[in-house]
Amino acid sequence: MVRQSFSRIIQLILVLLMLSLATFLLLKLAPGDPVLTILKANEGAVSQSDQDQVQEQLGLNLPLVQQYGLWLQGVIQLDLGKSFVNNRAVWDLMMDRLPATVSLTSGAIVVLLLISVPLAILGAKYKGKWPDHLSRLFALIGASIPSFWLGLLLIYAFAFKLNWLPTMGSGNVRHLILPSITLGFVMAPEYIRLLRSGLLDALSQEYVRAARARGIAEWRVIARHALRAALLPVITIFGMSLGALLAGSVVTETLFAWPGLGSMVMEAITQRNYPVIQGYVLLTGVFIVTANVLVDLSYSLLDPRIRSGRGRNV
Amino acid sequence: MSLGIRSQRSKIFFGFILILCAVTFLSGCSQASRSSGSSSEENTPATSVSKDITIIHSLPNDTLDPHNTWITLRAGVTETLLRLDENMKISPWLASDWETKDDRTWVFSIREGIQFQDGTPLDAQAVKASFERGIADSKALAAALKIASMEANGQQLQITTTEPYPAFPTELVHPTTSIISVAAENQMGKEAFNNAPVGTGPFKVTSFTPGSEIHLVRNDDYWDGKAKLNEVTFKFNADANVRTLAFQSKQADIVFHLSPEMLTSIEADNELSVSSVTSLRTHYFTYNPASSSVSDHRVREALDKLIDRDSIVQDIMLGHASPANGPFNASLPFGNREGYQKLDEAGALRLLESAGYTKGSDGKFQKDGKPLTLKLIAFTGVNPELPLIPQVVQSEAAKAGITIEIVSVEYPEVYIADHTDWDMSTSSYLTSPRGDGGSFLNSAYVPGGSYNPANIQVDGLEPILKELNETGDTEKRNEITQQAVTVINKALPHSYIINPNILVGINQRVTDWKPGAEEFYIVTHTLDVK
Repeated sequence: MVRQSFSRIIQLILVLLMLSLATFLLLKLAPGDPVLTILKANEGAVSQSDQDQVQEQLGLNLPLVQQYGLWLQGVIQLDLGKSFVNNRAVWDLMMDRLPATVSLTSGAIVVLLLISVPLAILGAKYKGKWPDHLSRLFALIGASIPSFWLGLLLIYAFAFKLNWLPTMGSGNVRHLILPSITLGFVMAPEYIRLLRSGLLDALSQEYVRAARARGIAEWRVIARHALRAALLPVITIFGMSLGALLAGSVVTETLFAWPGLGSMVMEAITQRNYPVIQGYVLLTGVFIVTANVLVDLSYSLLDPRIRSGRGRNV
Repeated sequence: MSLGIRSQRSKIFFGFILILCAVTFLSGCSQASRSSGSSSEENTPATSVSKDITIIHSLPNDTLDPHNTWITLRAGVTETLLRLDENMKISPWLASDWETKDDRTWVFSIREGIQFQDGTPLDAQAVKASFERGIADSKALAAALKIASMEANGQQLQITTTEPYPAFPTELVHPTTSIISVAAENQMGKEAFNNAPVGTGPFKVTSFTPGSEIHLVRNDDYWDGKAKLNEVTFKFNADANVRTLAFQSKQADIVFHLSPEMLTSIEADNELSVSSVTSLRTHYFTYNPASSSVSDHRVREALDKLIDRDSIVQDIMLGHASPANGPFNASLPFGNREGYQKLDEAGALRLLESAGYTKGSDGKFQKDGKPLTLKLIAFTGVNPELPLIPQVVQSEAAKAGITIEIVSVEYPEVYIADHTDWDMSTSSYLTSPRGDGGSFLNSAYVPGGSYNPANIQVDGLEPILKELNETGDTEKRNEITQQAVTVINKALPHSYIINPNILVGINQRVTDWKPGAEEFYIVTHTLDVK
C-alpha cells in the first residue's frame, strides 16, 4: 500500500511537470503579446519604450529555459505569479473561485444521480418495454442537447416565463438549481447507458438468480447485488467526470455568471492572461490525477477481490 | 468475508460519498452567500416600490482594485479628479479647477470638505498617495500618467510629468485614476481593500463575489448630496441572451449591451424601454500597405465606395449604429463634420478601370492576367456584428467583380502583425475613451503604435500630430484632431464603417438616469426609482 502510494505521488509529480512544460511552451507559442495585455493596450496608446520596460521588469526577454525555471521555482513555493489584468495573485484568484465550482460540482452530481440511477434501473428491469424506451429516448435527447442551449431553455422557462428561479448569479441554493440541472442533464446519458448495460449483465448472473430463488425482494436484489456489480465501470467514468467538473464548466458557468473556475479561465483566455491560464491548467491536472487515485481506491471498497489481491478480470 | 460485513462497508462507503456531496454542496453555498451578502431580492419583481436597484453589465470583474479595473467608478464607489460631461468635455470633479504652468507642470485644486467613505479627509496629500499606489500597482497606469514628481500642499497638488504632456488632464478622467483612501488600505490590508475599496463616491461596497456581483449601500456622508437609492446590486454576465432574459423577467432594472435581435419582444412590454446610445467605438477595415493590390490608393477608394454603410446599419445593426466617416464618432467635438461615403458602385468601377483593371469574360476584374482577389481577415466573434460586416462587403464586391476571400481569426490585429499575406482586415477600437482623439491618433497612425499592427504611415500627418501633442487648449486640440482626420481620410489607410450603439435596457421605474457613451458613470447619486 505504501509502495503503491509512493508510486502514485511520483506519477502525480511527473504528470504535473509534463503538464506545466507543455502549457508553458504552448502559451509562449500562442499568438499575441502579454505585454500589451499588461499595459491595457486596448484602452489607450502604449509606447514602445513602455513595452520594453515591462518586458524587462517581468523577465519576458530572458531565454525560455530561464523563464520556465523561474516560473517553476515559484510554483514549488505555491507562487503561481500574478494576473496580468488585475495584478492579483493567481493562487488567490483560484481559491476565490474554487468553492463555487465545488458547490456546482456537488449540485451536478446530485442531479446526475437523481436522473441516471432510476432511469438505468427502469431500463434494465423492463428491458424492451416502454420504461426502457423512455430511458433510451431521454439518453438520446440528453446527449444531443448542447449545454448552452439547455441552459438558455431552462432560464427561459423557469426564470423568465415562470419567474420561479433567478436567471444568474450566486448567493443561495436557488441560484444553484438551474446550472446544476444543466450540467447533470448533459452528463446523465453516458451514465444511464453504462449503468443499464452493467445492470443487464449483473441481472443475468448466477448469484442474482440465486438471490431471487432465496425469495429476496426484487428491489433488494437490484439495489444490493446487481447495482453494486454494475457500479465498477461507472466509477471509472465518474473519476474522469469529477476531475473535469472540478476544473469548472466553462459554458455553464459563463452562461449563469456562476463565479467558478470555468468562467474565470474563460475570461483569462479572452484577455490572454497567461499566468491565470497556466495556474488553472496545473490545478486541473491536480484534480484529474487526484480523482483517478480516489477511483482506484474506491475499487477496493466496492470489490473485495481487488482489496485481497486476487485480482479481477476487468 | 461475510455478506454482513461487506454490506456494512458498502453502506459506509455510500454514506461517506453522500456526506461528502452534502458538505461540499453546503460549503459552496455558504461560501457564495457569505461573499454575496444580502442577496435576498433576487426573485423579487423589480416592479415593487423599493429604493434598491439591480444593474447587469457584460464585463465580469475578478477584483475591485480601483487602479486595475473600471468597475469601482462605474459602481459609484470611487471618483476621479476630472470627469467627462454629457458633451464629452472634461470638467471638474474632485478637483475644482486646474491650470498648467508649462507643458509639463500641472496644478490641481482639490475640492474642500470632501471625506472618503472611511472618514479620512480628501486633501492633496491623500490624492498624491492614491496616485503613488496606482502607479506601483498598475504598469498600465504608470505608463499612461507619466508622472515624474508630485508636490502636495494643503488642497493644492502639483504634478510634473516626465515629458511634455498637454493631454495629461484627459488621462485623469479614466476610471483607473480613481482616488482612493490609502489610509483605509493600510488599515484593511491590500487583499481586503481590493474586495471592498474605499473611495469618495455615493455608494460603499458591502460584499463582492468575484466574477458575479457587487452589493452596494448608500454613503450617507457623500459630499454632493445623499444618493436617492439605499442599495444597489451590480451584476455581471457575459452572455447577451441571459442578460436580456433577466431584463425581460424584471430581475434587473438596467441592463447593458442587449442583443438587437431581441429588442422587438422587449419593446412589446410597456414596463421596459431601450436606450440606444452612440458609442465611442469604431469598426473599420485596415488596408495592408504592403499588399500589391490595395497599396494602390484607387483600389482602396473603390473598396471604400463598395461598403454599403446604410445596409450595415439597417440590416446588421437593426438601426442601432451610425455610419462612420472617420476614426471618431461624428457627433464628438473633434468628429468629422463631412458626410459619410455612400454605396457607389459606378464610382468604384471607374476607379478600378483607371487603376488598370479590366473585366474578364467571367465578369471579374483582372490586371495583367491576374484576377483581383483580396484576402480579408475577419473576427470570429467578440461582437456579433463583426463577423457579418465582411460578408456584406464581400457580397457588394462580388457584384462589382471583385473576389473577397474571408479568413476568420480570433485576433485579427495579432494575425496582421505576424503575417503579410492579407489585403484587408476588420478592426474595432474604442477610439476616444477619454474624450480626446490624441491617444488614438498617436497609436493607430504612428509606426510601432499599439493600435497600428499593420505599421501604417500617413504622409503629412507627422507635423499635425506633433502640433497636437504640444497643444493643451481643448478647442485647439479639437481643431487639430479634425485636421488630422482630413489628412487621414485623404490617404485612406482605413475604411471607417460604423460606430455601433450601446443598447441599454431600462425599466420604466428607473428615473433621473440615462446612459452615457463613455460607460463610466453608471451608479450615480441622482439615480432613482419610482
